[in-house]
Amino acid sequence: MNLRLLINLKHMGMKMTKNTNKIKRLIFSFLAVALIAIPTSAFAAMPDPIKKDMLETGKKVYFKRCVWCHGVEGGGDGPSADRLFTRPRNFIQGTFKIRVTDSGELPMDINLINTVKNGLQGSAMPAWGEFLSENEILSVVQFVKSLVQDRDFSDEDEEVNNVITGIAADNGKGPLGDAPWAATKGPYHLGIPQEHVDAGKELFIKNKCFECHGGEGRGDGNPTMKDDWGFPIVAANWQQCWNFRGARRDAYNPFVIARTISTGLNGTPMPNFREQLTGTERWQVAAFVNSLCPRKKIDPLTNKPIPDFLIQSVYTEGPVVPKIDDPSWASSDTDDRIVPASEEQKENPKRHHIAMAGQITRGKRNFDPKADNLWITSRWSAEENAVYYLVEYDQRFMSSDPEYPDAVAIQWPAKLQDLFGAEKPYFINGDSKKPVDIWKASFLAQDYNATNAPKPEGYKLEVNVEETVGYGFDAIKAKESEAKVQVVDSIFHQGRVKVMFKRDLKTDGEFDVQIPTEQFIPVSFLQWSGRDKEKDEHMAISTWYYTILKPALPASLYYMPPIMAVIFVAFQGWLVWMTKRTRKMYDEGKVKRDELPK
Amino acid sequence: MNKALISFLVFVVGLGVFHNAIFPIFTPKEIGWILNRYVYFLLFVAYLIITNLVLRLKPPVAMTALFVWGLGFYFYKFVLYPPIPWTLFITYMVMWSIGTFLFISQDPETFREFRRPIVKTIVGEYKLAQIVVLTAMPILVGFATYNTIYPSYQEPVELRTVHPAPPATTKVHGKTYPLESTNNPFRVDEQDNYKDSFPFLDADKNEYMKYVTEGGTIFFQNCHYCHGDQLNGLGMFSHVFNPTPANFIDPGTIAMLQEAFLFWRVSKGGPGLPNESTPWSSAMPPWEEHLKTDEIWKVILFEYWYTGWHPRTFGTEGSTAG
Repeated sequence: MNLRLLINLKHMGMKMTKNTNKIKRLIFSFLAVALIAIPTSAFAAMPDPIKKDMLETGKKVYFKRCVWCHGVEGGGDGPSADRLFTRPRNFIQGTFKIRVTDSGELPMDINLINTVKNGLQGSAMPAWGEFLSENEILSVVQFVKSLVQDRDFSDEDEEVNNVITGIAADNGKGPLGDAPWAATKGPYHLGIPQEHVDAGKELFIKNKCFECHGGEGRGDGNPTMKDDWGFPIVAANWQQCWNFRGARRDAYNPFVIARTISTGLNGTPMPNFREQLTGTERWQVAAFVNSLCPRKKIDPLTNKPIPDFLIQSVYTEGPVVPKIDDPSWASSDTDDRIVPASEEQKENPKRHHIAMAGQITRGKRNFDPKADNLWITSRWSAEENAVYYLVEYDQRFMSSDPEYPDAVAIQWPAKLQDLFGAEKPYFINGDSKKPVDIWKASFLAQDYNATNAPKPEGYKLEVNVEETVGYGFDAIKAKESEAKVQVVDSIFHQGRVKVMFKRDLKTDGEFDVQIPTEQFIPVSFLQWSGRDKEKDEHMAISTWYYTILKPALPASLYYMPPIMAVIFVAFQGWLVWMTKRTRKMYDEGKVKRDELPK
Repeated sequence: MNKALISFLVFVVGLGVFHNAIFPIFTPKEIGWILNRYVYFLLFVAYLIITNLVLRLKPPVAMTALFVWGLGFYFYKFVLYPPIPWTLFITYMVMWSIGTFLFISQDPETFREFRRPIVKTIVGEYKLAQIVVLTAMPILVGFATYNTIYPSYQEPVELRTVHPAPPATTKVHGKTYPLESTNNPFRVDEQDNYKDSFPFLDADKNEYMKYVTEGGTIFFQNCHYCHGDQLNGLGMFSHVFNPTPANFIDPGTIAMLQEAFLFWRVSKGGPGLPNESTPWSSAMPPWEEHLKTDEIWKVILFEYWYTGWHPRTFGTEGSTAG
C-alpha cells in the first residue's frame, strides 16, 4: 500500500510545480522514508480517509442519536456518561476496541460500520442496523471519524494492517486463517472437537490468561485494571458471552474470540497474542473460551438470554442432600432443549436463568449493578417438609468490608393466601397492603482478598441470615416470629457465589410465606454487591417470577400406558373380527353388499 | 412401477424439494406480489395436480385423501403467516379433516374405493401392512397416554390493560393539574420546525431546542435504561422487566396519547396506576420522587421531538409521524 503513498506523493509533486525547493525537499525526504519503510510494512494500508461529502448527514444523525452518550465533541462525556459502566467511547484519541487491525492502529470503516449496526453487547450501545438507514450509518461513521482529534485518518504515517484476513497477518506467528475444525453447527456453534478445546485450555494456562480473566474465565482475575483514560475496567466474563462487546449479535461464534485474541482491545489492558500464538492456536483458545459459555436461547431484540420465568422445584424422594457439590445438585447452565442433559443429570432440577437489573426506581438508585443474572436450582422433599433453593451468580470480586457485605435475597408475598388471581406485591420490598417476606443471606468470604491468585477450592462464606417483612422500598421491619430460613451450604468459587437456602414449607410465623405444592407462587430476587457499596434499596433486582413445587411423578404414569395399549389391542381384535365376519356374510350371500346406483 | 407409488413419491419428493429449495426463494425480506408464501403454496398445489394429470397416475382415493389432508396440514403448520396458536391449529385441522371426509364420501363409489385399502389391511389381505399397523397403533396409544399423564408446567398467562384509564386530575409537587386541559408549558412552537435542528448546538440559539436538549439530557440520565437509546423500549435493563417497558416508536403508545396523560404516567409511575385491571407490575418509577415538574414536561417534549410523533390534542383525529 506504500505504492499508493508513492503515487499520491508524485501526484502532489506534479500539482506543486510552482512550489519552492523546500517542499520538494520535503517530498523527497518523505519518499526516502517511505522507501526505507517498505520492507517492514510492505503490506500495510492507509486508513480509509474521511468521506467529507457525508459529514453533513453524519452530523445530523450524530446530534440526534449519539450525542447523548458520546458528547458534543465526541469525548464520551454526554449527559448519560457518568451513570454508565462501561462508559461511552471517547472518540478524540481514535482508540477503538473492536477492529480487525493491529493493536494501536485505527479501525477500518467496516469495523465502525459493524459496531454501529450491531451495537456493543453488554453495554448501553444498541444495534442501529434496523433503526437507521444504510446511508445514515455510513455517514455517521464518517462523522465519528472526524471527531478524532489526536490522530488523522489521512495521515501518511498512519497505517492499518488487517490481521485477520490481510497478508499483513504474517506479522508474528502467522495469519489467523481458517478454523482448524469443520464448520460449527447451528446458531449455538456447537460441535467443535474436544481436542481443540483441551489444547485451548492448555494455552490458556500457558499464556496466563487467568491473571485477568480468572481461573474459570469469569473475569475475576484483576480488580485494579484501568483503561487508557484512567477509568476502572474489568476483564470479560467468558461465561456470559452474550455480553462480549464485539459479539456482533452472534455471541456463540468462536470467531469473535479469535478476532479479539488477534487484535487486542485498544484502550484496554487486553493485548493481542499474535507473537505468542499461531493462527491455529488462537482458534483453539477461542474454542476453549467459547466452550465455557452456557447455551441459552438469546432474545434477538435485547441480545440477552430469555429468562426462565417458571422455576421448577423438583420432588425428591427422601431427604435432600444439603451439599452444593453433591451430584444430585449437578446441572448445566446450558438449556437442555439445546444440548440434552447428560444421563446422570437427566433427573436433576433444571438451572433457571433470572435476569437482574439495577434498582433504578426508588430511593438510592443503582445504575451499574455488578451481577447481570442469577441461576436458580431447586428441590423439595415431602419427607422433610422443606424446600431448597440454590442461588448462584457471577461476581468478579467480593467485599472485604464488614460494613458492606455481599448479599442475596429471595422475596415472597408474605400473605400468599390473601392474593387474588395474578395479584402480586410491589416488586421492590412490597407495599403497605401486600407485604413481602424477604429471606436475605449476607456474607463475607473468609481469607479473601480480591487480588489473590485463583483458588481452585474456593472460599468459605461467613453467612448471616436475616428474615424481614417489607412494606415498601423504605419500610422494612424485622420479623417477630422465630427465624426459620437456613443457609445450609455456601461457597465463593472462581468468581461464582453459591448459596443454598432451606426452609420448612409451613411455619407458624405470621409473615412467613406458607409454601404450597403444585401451585404457582410469585418469587423474586434481590442482590447486593458489597464492593460497590450497595446497601438497602441500592441493589440489583429481578421482576416477579413464578416457582412451583412439582409433585412426584404419578404412579399412573407407569401402569396407564400399557393398560391403554392393551385396551386398544382388544379393540383392534374386535375390529378385525367384525370386518371379517361382515365379509363372510357378503360372500355367503346372507347380506347384500350396498349396491351402487346405475 | 406401481402408479400409486409414483404418485406418492411425486408428493413426498416434491414437498421436500419445494419446502427446502423453493420456499426460501418465496419468503424474501421484502414481500412482493409474486414472491410470497401463498403464491408458493399455490404453485406446489399446481405442481401436484399437473404432474398427476400429465403422468396419468390416477392415485387411489385413499391416497388422494391423504394428499388433500396433508396439504391442509402443511398450509396451516408452515405456510400460513403469522403462525397460529396450536388451539386454533387444531380447530382448523378438524374443519379441514371434515372437508376431506366430505370429499371422499361425495358418492358411494369413491367412498367404497376409499374404504377398500383400509378393509384389505384390516382383514389381512395386505399382510405386511396389517402387521405394521396393528403393532404400531397400540404402541402409539401407549406413548400418547404417557405424554398426556406426564406432568408439565407452564407459567400462567397474565392479561392486563395496555392503557389504564387516567384520573380527572393529578397532583404533582403540591399542584393539581386537570388532565384534560393541561398542556406542555414548554411546547412554545410548532415541533416540525425543529426536525433538523441540533440539540446542544442550537440550544443557545432558540428556546425550543434548549428545552429539547434539557429533556434529552434527563432522558439519557434516567429513562434510557428501560426505554432505550432509540426510545423503542429495548434499553439495557428492559429484558429484566415484565411487562416490558413501553416502546415510544410504536404508533400505539405516545403517538395516540395526550401530553397530559404522559405527565400523569411519568409522575406517578407504576405505583400510581389505578386498582382496576390489576396486576400492573410496572417497574416505572413515580418520577415526581426524582424529577421536578418542569423536568418531566421537558422529557415529554424531547420524546415527541426524537420520535417525530405529535401528541394527541383535542380537535384532531390522531397523530402523524414527522
